[in-house]
Amino acid sequence: MAWHSWAQPLDALRRNEVDPVSLPARVATLVVAFLAVVAGVLWVVFDIIGPQPQTENYTAYAKNGQVNVTMMTTAQTTVTNKPDWVSYFIQNPSTKQFDHTTYFAVPANTTVNVTILGYDGCTPLRNPLWGQVAGTDGNVENVQYYNGKTLSAAQNISTFDSWANCSVQHTFAIPNLGINVPIASPTTLSENNNLCGTSPCTAANQDQNSPHTVVKFSFKTPSTPGAYRWQCFVPCGLGYVDGNGGPMGTPGYMGGQMEVQA
Amino acid sequence: MAADASSAAGAPVRASWRSDRDVVWLLTLWIVLSIIGCLLVALVWGPHMPPGRASSTAASQATDITVLATIATPVVIGILLYFGWALAFWRQKPGDETDAAPLHGNIKVQATWIVATSAIVLALAVYGTVELIAPAGAGAGQGPQPIFKNGMPPAASTTSWSPNSNNILQVQVIGQQWAWTFRYPQFGGFETTQLALPVNQPVQFNVTSLDVIHSFWAYTLGVKADANPGVNNVAYTTPNTLGDFQVRCAELCGIWHGAMYDTGEVLTDSNFMAWTQTESVKLASVTKLLPPYALTYDPTTIAILGKVNTALGLTGAGGGFYNPADPEQP
Repeated sequence: MAWHSWAQPLDALRRNEVDPVSLPARVATLVVAFLAVVAGVLWVVFDIIGPQPQTENYTAYAKNGQVNVTMMTTAQTTVTNKPDWVSYFIQNPSTKQFDHTTYFAVPANTTVNVTILGYDGCTPLRNPLWGQVAGTDGNVENVQYYNGKTLSAAQNISTFDSWANCSVQHTFAIPNLGINVPIASPTTLSENNNLCGTSPCTAANQDQNSPHTVVKFSFKTPSTPGAYRWQCFVPCGLGYVDGNGGPMGTPGYMGGQMEVQA
Repeated sequence: MAADASSAAGAPVRASWRSDRDVVWLLTLWIVLSIIGCLLVALVWGPHMPPGRASSTAASQATDITVLATIATPVVIGILLYFGWALAFWRQKPGDETDAAPLHGNIKVQATWIVATSAIVLALAVYGTVELIAPAGAGAGQGPQPIFKNGMPPAASTTSWSPNSNNILQVQVIGQQWAWTFRYPQFGGFETTQLALPVNQPVQFNVTSLDVIHSFWAYTLGVKADANPGVNNVAYTTPNTLGDFQVRCAELCGIWHGAMYDTGEVLTDSNFMAWTQTESVKLASVTKLLPPYALTYDPTTIAILGKVNTALGLTGAGGGFYNPADPEQP
């Protein structure tokens, strides 16, 4: 009996008289496969690539054709699950808190006065070309620490020699606007070993007095709205191939976007 | 149509769907449509074939694409015509359940097919080889020792250059995550983010990278050469049209790969010489900080790097940017 009950459906199957898989089973398989693909895409987008960092919007704070933007570099990112990654922070124009983001918005046709508090130690530039300030007002930046020396007062500097003095920690560059600003590093290696240990390096964390530089520069935004990516040109993703992985390859750490609004 | 027959097993079999009239019609239509199609492709579409004719290599590529498209036209038309004819006239009629006629080999057809396709492929191989030689490598990178240099002047001097001299202009293209920079060794070795070229002057691109593999693609100049770290990849061209051209990276190189582009410019000889003078002065302070001009650069040779990393306790990379154990996962 058993042989007979198996043989009949198989014979029918060979004669193409019945489907090997029922229609409901096919539909269910298709739905499950579709959902699996969607879940995979969502996982890549939200877990691998990660959510887009928040945007600090400075547009409403522009006055007389100018707006002030304050940023910070840190040697670590203790506010995230990547505590050993270097990072930029941007000050919220309303709360004055430094948020972990690299996205900001500024109005078009406006002079942006940037202040960067540089709390990280030095790393030589891979390409010394990025040691020259470009695209800012006067093609200079204003800084008191310069090529291993502490100047009596902040001065306008145009070129850093990071290979001779290890005087640069990061850069702030907007390639499509021709802007490149090397961020001066604290003066000595001994100071580098006393870098602030939490981030952001603020009074609340009792780290605001750790060795750091204050870099100031200005540039004018384009007259038309648009999004401009910016990045660091120091390969500061230590431990990653070419130094360009990790924080260098993840939005919100060493690269971001400047949105120019109408 | 031929009449039905019977197979050995007794089932009715159609002897053939074709008739001599079909063959005559197909051949006639194919010849007429192929002539029209080839003329349209060569004369109407050809002048607009990419990548244009803004340089010697681009013009050569546009010609090659036109030739290949013209040769392919009769083949495409033949396939589509036969396909359409079969669908339209050789359909099985309603109620006709006869089998198709058995297939047999045809020596004449097979021999014609083999000879014709072999001749086409071998001719294209010869044509392709000639087209590699004529425009000096067809705009592609040929490695550090190019084979195809036809028509290009020698690198008589790597420290000076003037228009119309028997000395090719050398431009070093340096890829890095994520920007292109360009170095001009014959003008004091300054490095800049701008790419300018003189019109109607042969150019030798020396393409390299400071980190990962990039690909220098000046699309409208018909130049595309991989930028590999530690390798000099040489490509040639002669721009012949004044104006802007786009440079892109054609090798996925990281998160900002899509933003790694530039706009270059082809200038008159006098404007180019003036531009080099201006850039030399503007970049003088940083030019003296650059490493001596070389065909490749090793970032691990930065003298101070080992000292700095040791002081910071970062000794894993042996004083270099690269740890032998990299890439390390987070």
